[in-house]
Amino acid sequence: MLTAKKRFETEPLLFHAFNYAIMLLIAVVTLYPFLNTLAVSFNAGTDTTRGGIYLLPRIWTLKNYEAVFVSGHVFHAFWVSVARTLVGTVFSVFLTAMLAYTLSRKEYMFRKIITIAFVLTMYFHAGLIPSYFLVKDLNLLNTFLVYILFPGGAAGLVSAFNMLVVRTYIHTLPESLVESAKIDGAGDFRIFLSIVLPLCAPVLATIALFTAVGQWNTWFDTFLYASSKQNLSTLQYELIKLLSSATNSNSNPNISSSAARDAATMITPLSIRAAITMVASVPILVVYPFLQRHFVSGAQLGSVKE
Amino acid sequence: MGVRARKAAYGLLMLVFAFSIIASGCSKKENAEGSGSPSASPQANSSSPSESGSASAGPEPFEISIFMQDPGPIPTENNRIYKKIKDELGVTLKEEYLVGDAEQKLGVMIAGGDYPDLITANTKLVAAKAVIPLEDLIEKNAPNLKKHYEKVWNQMKDPNDGHIYWMPNYGVYQGEFKTTQHYGPAFFIQKAVLKEFGYPKFKTLDEYFKLIEDYKAKYPEIDGQPTIGFTTLAYDWRDWPLRNAPEHLSGHPNDGGVVVDPNTNVASLFEATDIAKPYYKKLNEINAKGLMDREAFAQNFDQYLAKIASGRVLGMFDQRWNFQQGEDSLISQGKPERAYVGIPLVYDPSIRDYYVDRPVLNLNNGFGITVNAKDPVKIIKFLDTLMDPKWQKLFSWGEEGVDYQVGANGLYSRTPEQRKQQEDVTWKQANKAEALFRFLPKLEGKYPDGNADGPGNQPDEFFANLKPIDQEVLGAYGYKLWTDFFSVPPENRISYPAWSIDLVEGSPAKVANQKMKDLAFKYLPKAILSKPGDFDKVWAEYGEQMGKVDTKAYLDRVNEILKWRQENWSK
Amino acid sequence: MQSTVQTKEVAPQPARRTGTFWNRMVRQRQLIFMSFPMLFYILLFAYAPIWGWLMAFQHFRPGFSILNQEWVGLDQFRFLFEDDAFLRVLRNTLGMSVISLVLGFVTAIGFAILLNEIKKSGIKRTIQTISYLPHFLSWVVVTGLVATSLSTEDGIVNIVLLKLHLIEEPILWLGEGKYFWGIVGASNVWKEVGWNAIIYLAAIASIDPSLYEAAEMDGASRYRKMLHITLPGIKPVIVILLILNIGWILNGGGFEIQYFLGNGQVSDWSETIDIFVLKYGLKIGNYSLGVAAGIFKTVVSIVLLFAANTIAKRLGEERLI
Repeated sequence: MLTAKKRFETEPLLFHAFNYAIMLLIAVVTLYPFLNTLAVSFNAGTDTTRGGIYLLPRIWTLKNYEAVFVSGHVFHAFWVSVARTLVGTVFSVFLTAMLAYTLSRKEYMFRKIITIAFVLTMYFHAGLIPSYFLVKDLNLLNTFLVYILFPGGAAGLVSAFNMLVVRTYIHTLPESLVESAKIDGAGDFRIFLSIVLPLCAPVLATIALFTAVGQWNTWFDTFLYASSKQNLSTLQYELIKLLSSATNSNSNPNISSSAARDAATMITPLSIRAAITMVASVPILVVYPFLQRHFVSGAQLGSVKE
Repeated sequence: MGVRARKAAYGLLMLVFAFSIIASGCSKKENAEGSGSPSASPQANSSSPSESGSASAGPEPFEISIFMQDPGPIPTENNRIYKKIKDELGVTLKEEYLVGDAEQKLGVMIAGGDYPDLITANTKLVAAKAVIPLEDLIEKNAPNLKKHYEKVWNQMKDPNDGHIYWMPNYGVYQGEFKTTQHYGPAFFIQKAVLKEFGYPKFKTLDEYFKLIEDYKAKYPEIDGQPTIGFTTLAYDWRDWPLRNAPEHLSGHPNDGGVVVDPNTNVASLFEATDIAKPYYKKLNEINAKGLMDREAFAQNFDQYLAKIASGRVLGMFDQRWNFQQGEDSLISQGKPERAYVGIPLVYDPSIRDYYVDRPVLNLNNGFGITVNAKDPVKIIKFLDTLMDPKWQKLFSWGEEGVDYQVGANGLYSRTPEQRKQQEDVTWKQANKAEALFRFLPKLEGKYPDGNADGPGNQPDEFFANLKPIDQEVLGAYGYKLWTDFFSVPPENRISYPAWSIDLVEGSPAKVANQKMKDLAFKYLPKAILSKPGDFDKVWAEYGEQMGKVDTKAYLDRVNEILKWRQENWSK
Repeated sequence: MQSTVQTKEVAPQPARRTGTFWNRMVRQRQLIFMSFPMLFYILLFAYAPIWGWLMAFQHFRPGFSILNQEWVGLDQFRFLFEDDAFLRVLRNTLGMSVISLVLGFVTAIGFAILLNEIKKSGIKRTIQTISYLPHFLSWVVVTGLVATSLSTEDGIVNIVLLKLHLIEEPILWLGEGKYFWGIVGASNVWKEVGWNAIIYLAAIASIDPSLYEAAEMDGASRYRKMLHITLPGIKPVIVILLILNIGWILNGGGFEIQYFLGNGQVSDWSETIDIFVLKYGLKIGNYSLGVAAGIFKTVVSIVLLFAANTIAKRLGEERLI
C-alpha cells in the first residue's frame, strides 16, 4: 500500500482535495433541511409564520415539543412502534433471506414461477377496499398481527425488492461453498442457516435497515386497520393525529365564525410539524450507525469466500 | 364473488399458509437439529386463532363511539370537560379523529360497514345508508333539539328523500345577533395605509388600488424589504382568493362558483364572463404598474402567510379566517398597524355591497347517528341534554370562577390571565373539548341570560381587546364594530347559499366543477401577468376553453337544487 | 467482473435433470418447504384482493357489494384516455420519471463510489449518516424548503445566481413550466441521494479487498480501480435496480412532490397520471377511475419489466427472472 502510494504523489492529493470538497458540499446541502427543521421546532409558532428561520431559532421555545408530549398516548405509542419494528424486521429479514436463498438455487424447479410471482407484486395494488375486506375477513382488524403481516397496507412481510437484493448478493458468493456442503450431506435449510445466512450479514443489515425504517415510518396500517384500539396506536399515527389537529384548528372556516378566534394559537402547523418530524425520526436514526458495523465486516468476508 | 365465498377462499389460503409455515418449521427442526429456533412458527400460531378486535360497547355506564372528520386539539385522558360529562351524565365518549385522507377512510368504513355510533356528516354516508333518519327520534325524545331546530326544520331535510340525517352544528341563532368581526370575504387593506391617507372612505377598485399605489410609491420598502402592493393565493383547495372576488364586486353574495338572480332564483356562471373580466383586467393593469405580487400564483400557503406576517403586503382579497395566522403573527410582533381592515369593494358605487350575509345553516355538517348505534334514543337524549345552556356555557366559556367571572350586571368576563390561558394549546387539551363542541348542535348568538355565545362575541370582551390603532381606525370612521364597514345584509334568499349544494360524488357536475377550477388556476394567472396588450387574447382563450367544459351539467345540478329549496324551504 | 465470474465458474452442473416431476419435488422438498409458505403468503395478501379490479369496470359506490354495482364497461378507461389532458399528463409522467431515474442513479452511484474513497472511517460514517437525513423528512417539509429556496425574494438559489452574475434578475422558478421537471429531479436527488447510496455502499463493502491489493501491485491508478473493480463489483445491484425502476416509470418520480410544488401556472408541465387520477377520481368520489389507471399502469409496468429483463439477459447481465 505504502509503496504504491509513492508512485502518484500529486494525483491523490488533487483527487482527495476534490473529493473532500464534493463530500463537504453534499454534507452541507443534506444537513441543512434537517437543521432547519430542528430550528423551526424550537422556534415560537407565530414567529415562524414570518419565515426567515434558517439554522437557529429566533424566539426560543419548548412549546412545540410540549404540545407533542402533552397527550400521554405518545409514550405508549412509542413502545408499540418499537415492538412492531423489532418483531416485523426480524421476521421479515429472516423469511426474505430464506426465500432469496431458495430462489438463488438454479436447480430449484419452481424458481422461475415463484420469482415472477414476487416481482409482479411490486407493480400492482389491488386497492384499498378489497385489502380492507381481506384484513377484516381474516379477523386481523385491530390486532398487532396486522402490523407484521400487512405492514403499511401491503404484503410486506416478505418484500420482493429486498428478496431480489439478497438474491443478487447470494449470487456473488462462491457456489463452491454450497456444493461442498451438499457433498457433506447437508440439506438446503442447514446450508442456508449455517453457511449462507452468516455470509449475508452485510446485505441483511441493509434490508433490515429498509424494513425497520418502513415499519417505523408507516402509519397507514394503523389509520385503516387498527385505529379504533388506542393501545395499538403507533408513534407515527399519534404524531400524524397531532399534526392534523393543529392544521385543522388553524384553517377551519367554521371555527372562525364565532367562539374561535379567542383561541389564537401559539402553535402553528408549521412549527408542530417540525417538532413531530424530530420526535419521529430521531429514534430510528440510531439504527443505522448500529447496523453500519455489519457493512464494514462485509469487507472481511473476502477471505472467507476464497 | 360473495362475502362467503371470499371468506372461504381466504380461510383456505390462510390455512395453507399457516400449515406450510408450521411444516417448514418442523422440517427445519429435523434438518437443523435444533440449531436456530424456527422463528416462523409462533407467528403462524398467533395468526390462526381469530382474535376479534372490535371493542364492544360496554353496557353500563353508557359509552358512545364517535368519529370526527376534522380533529381539533385532541383531549388528554383526564380532560376536565369529558370528566364532567362522565361524572354527571354517565356517558363515556370514545372518540376517533380522522387523520389522513377522508375519502380513503370513509371508503373502507362504508365498505366494511364498521361505523361508530355518532359520525360527522358526509354525503357519502347518506348515499350508503349508513345513517338513520332523525326526525322522529328528535320529535319524541329531544325537546331541546326540537326547539332549537324548529325554524330551520325543513332546510335540514335531504333533497333526495326528505329525511333529516344530520344536526347542523352552526347557523341557528338566538335573538338579534351581530358579529364583532367579519371572518368572511373582503378586500383587505393595511390599517397603516388608511392612516397614511387620513382614513378615506372608498368603494371602488380604482380607489383601492390608488391608495396602494400611492403608499407603495411613498414607502417602497417596509422593514427593509420591498413593499408588495397586492397578493393573492391559488394553492390546492384554497382557491377563493383568486376566483371569488368578481361575484362580490358585482354585488352578489357568496354563492360559491355561481351568481344567482334573486328574482328568478336561477344560477349562472360568472367565471370567464364579463362579470369577471373587469376585475382581472384591473389586476393586469396593476401588474403593469408593478403593484401585483409576481410570485403570487406560484406560492404555497405557508409562503403566503409568511408574506402577510412580514407586514409588507398592502392588500389582498381573501376570507379573514384564512390568513388569520399571519395577522396573529403581526400582532405578536407588535405591528398592529400592519394588520388589516376588510372593505366591501364594488364595481360601481351604485351597487350595494353584499359581502356580509345573514347566518346560514351549516348544511351537511354536524353529527348523525349510524345504523350501528345500539341505542339511538339514549344517544339523542344525551345530545339533547348538552343543548342545555348550562352545558353549552361549559363548552364555550368554561367553568365559572375558573375560566370566567360573573360581573355585577350578570355579564361574564375573563381576566387577562384567563384569556392568555385560553391561547395555550396544551392547556386546552386538558381543559377544553373544542373538537367535540365544534360538531355538536349549539346555541349561537345570546344565551337566555343575555351573555354572548362565547367570549369573542361579548361586546365588553371585544372592546377590552382592541389595540390603540384599532380604536383610532374605528373612531375615524365613526364605527363601533369591524362589521360596520359593511352594509347590513338583507334577508337571505330562500335558496341561499349555492355553495352548500351537494354536487353528487363522481357525477359530471363534479367533473365540470374540477375542470373549471383547473382552467381558472391556469388562465387567470396567465391573463393577469400578460402584457396589457395581450390580455384580451388570453381572456378569449380562457373563454374558449371554458366552452369545452360541460358547464351545463354543473349548472343543471345547481339549479335543480335551488329550485327544490325554493319550494321546500319556504314552508 | 472477471473475478466474480471466475469464482462462479467453479460451480458444477446445476441440476441432475434425471427423474420425474415427483422425484424432483421430493428431492427439492427442503427448498419447497422454505419457499412455499411465502408464496402462499403473497397469494393471500397480494393476489387474493385483486378482485377489486372489477371496480375499474363499474361506477363504484361504497356501501354496496361489488356485484351490486352499476357496470359501465370501459367507460373509466375511456374517460382517462380520451381526456384532452391525457397525452400531456403521460408525457409529464415519463419526463419526470426519466429525469429522476437518471439523476437518481448517477448521483447515488457516484456518491457511493466517491465516499468509498474516503479512508478515514470516522469522516466517512459521519458524511454518510448526514447524507441520508433528508430521507426522514416528509415531502411536505422538503417541498416547503424547496419553495423557499427558489423564492424570487429571498430564495438562496436566486441570491447565489445573482451574486455570481449568472442571471440579471431573480428567476420565478416555480412559475415557469420549463423548469419544473428539473426541479423535481433535483429535489428527488436532494432528499434521497444518501438513502439510495446505502445499497451501493453495502455492495461495495462486500467487494473482496484482495482484488484492490492485487490491482495496486499492478500499479493501477485510483481511477482504474474505481472503473475496473468497484463499478463491476456493484454492477449486478445496479442492473437489478435499473430493471425494477424501469417498471416504475409511470410513477412520475413521486407523487407528493408534484402535488405540493405544482400550481396553475405550471400545470401543463407538472401534472402526472397520479395527480390527474387524484383530481378526477378520488377527490370527486369516483373510486373506479383510480383502479382503472392502476390497471393501465400495471400492464405497462409488466411489459417494460419483461422487456428490460430480456435485454439484460441478452447482454449477459444479472437479471430478475
